[in-house]
Amino acid sequence: MSVDMAVAVGGLELRGPVLAASGTFGYGTEVPLLERRALGAMVSKGIFLRPRAGTPPPRIAETPSGMLNAIGLQGPGADALVRDYAPRWAEWDFPVLVNINGESASEYGELTARLDGVPGIAGFEINISCPNVEQGGLYFGNDPRAAAAVTEAVRRRTKLPVWVKLTPMVSDIGVIARAVESAGADALCAINTFVGMSIDLNAYKPRLSFRTGGLSGPAIRPLAVHLAHQAARAVRIPVVGIGGIACADDALEFLVAGCTAVQVGTATFVNPKAIAEVHDGIAAFLAARGFATLAELPRYLPRD
Amino acid sequence: MSGGRPSLFLLDAPVTSKRPAARGMFVISMRAPEIARAVRAGQFVNLGWAGGPLLRRPFSVYRAEDDEIEVVLKSVGAGTEQLLAMKHGGVVSCLGPLGRGFDLKGKSAVLISGGLGVAPMPLAARDAKAAGLRVTWVHGARTAAELCAESAGDEVVWATDDGSKGFHGTAVAAAADADVVLACGPNRMLAAVAERWPEAQVAVETYMGCGTGVCLGCAVPLKRGGYDRACKEGPVYRAADIDWPALPSHLSYAVTA
Repeated sequence: MSVDMAVAVGGLELRGPVLAASGTFGYGTEVPLLERRALGAMVSKGIFLRPRAGTPPPRIAETPSGMLNAIGLQGPGADALVRDYAPRWAEWDFPVLVNINGESASEYGELTARLDGVPGIAGFEINISCPNVEQGGLYFGNDPRAAAAVTEAVRRRTKLPVWVKLTPMVSDIGVIARAVESAGADALCAINTFVGMSIDLNAYKPRLSFRTGGLSGPAIRPLAVHLAHQAARAVRIPVVGIGGIACADDALEFLVAGCTAVQVGTATFVNPKAIAEVHDGIAAFLAARGFATLAELPRYLPRD
Repeated sequence: MSGGRPSLFLLDAPVTSKRPAARGMFVISMRAPEIARAVRAGQFVNLGWAGGPLLRRPFSVYRAEDDEIEVVLKSVGAGTEQLLAMKHGGVVSCLGPLGRGFDLKGKSAVLISGGLGVAPMPLAARDAKAAGLRVTWVHGARTAAELCAESAGDEVVWATDDGSKGFHGTAVAAAADADVVLACGPNRMLAAVAERWPEAQVAVETYMGCGTGVCLGCAVPLKRGGYDRACKEGPVYRAADIDWPALPSHLSYAVTA
């Protein structure tokens, strides 16, 4: 029995609810083995208007059931993205959103204007939650006024779907969620990595050159399910759940907790076929319980 | 990627044997036919296994013959400890071959390895000989017991820091010039190789996330500025291209539960 997995998320009609998380799928062109068959959408590696070198190594450190990363948003800049990647995305049978970054609200706006209307770019995921850049990033994500200002700056420059990726490093994610909803976001993505630190006991210093990094992987999943649920209760727009998803059951937890779709990230590093396996596993779960569509999945989402 | 024939494989590879190569150093063989046929000297595989650490672990391919590949390892943390404990028939998820290997052109090659830097050398000796090069392999270690007992090539030179076997000193000091200089070992040793032979091809070691070019975790600092990826543009580099002081010289493996 085939299950209808199609889902509408923040202005996009997707063939399935499993998306590739920014920074874990590159620009989608790197690995021939990366399974694109079941991909609902791809969010490309975070980009700034101008090229960025990124942080010095070591950039990653494995921790129990997780990894810390401080890549520092290394990237080629908007012009190279438009020239080298967007034309390939235009030929694919799923939408690509670009994860956009800036050091000021006006820089986010300028980047949006540069990318808006380029064939192959179906929407934007605003990154107001990167823990690994000196300016911007996390700052915009934990102040509701700054988060709204960035969202408005992007919203004014495009009619394409605008999603906002939230940081978990806040005391009340609902406040930020409502602020960006009011500022015109079409969907929320919850959550980005937690800020963490790990110490090299041989060197008596942090294992990452940036000192801190973003923690991802199964270690953060219960924290992420809770925060995605809190965000979903706070707003009417769809929430895309992210955080440590490695298999279908993990994804189903986010969906039942009120998310409309999910993103798979770190798991793709380990298993290039993770997204297809999560997609197929959700379909099998629904079929085994007699659901004909993803929409029939029961949700636990009491309203505040 | 070149179209047509697939160049990257994800295989469940059963372990077929394990043998000691030096004190604390072992060679593990596994059945991975497509990778064994495709791999070139200097390339690596990224290994994962049930109950293992979250991330895969990269290993140079040590030898490849018929349907089998071999990797060489020491116990440096929980992950390698598990891999060494694996029994015959235990299954390793094997992703590869990955990275860019050695470029072998000329009449003579010297292979310089320090400690676990033996990892890519038997395959390098095989490919260099196939390309018509005369191969000298210079093996270095702290002491005789830590020298890898296996070798390949037309001539083998041993070097130990304590003089307990062969040349008393480093492998770099023991090596003679050749058309092609290949080196693998601690990054500090490779920096010394770069001083003497800027054109040498060195295989560097970094922490690695995905092994496939998407995570940008394995950044290698370049003299011309910026970083590229050990897993994609590397792990083999022209020695003079690397910004050696900026490349971490000691990797700490104390990791995971």
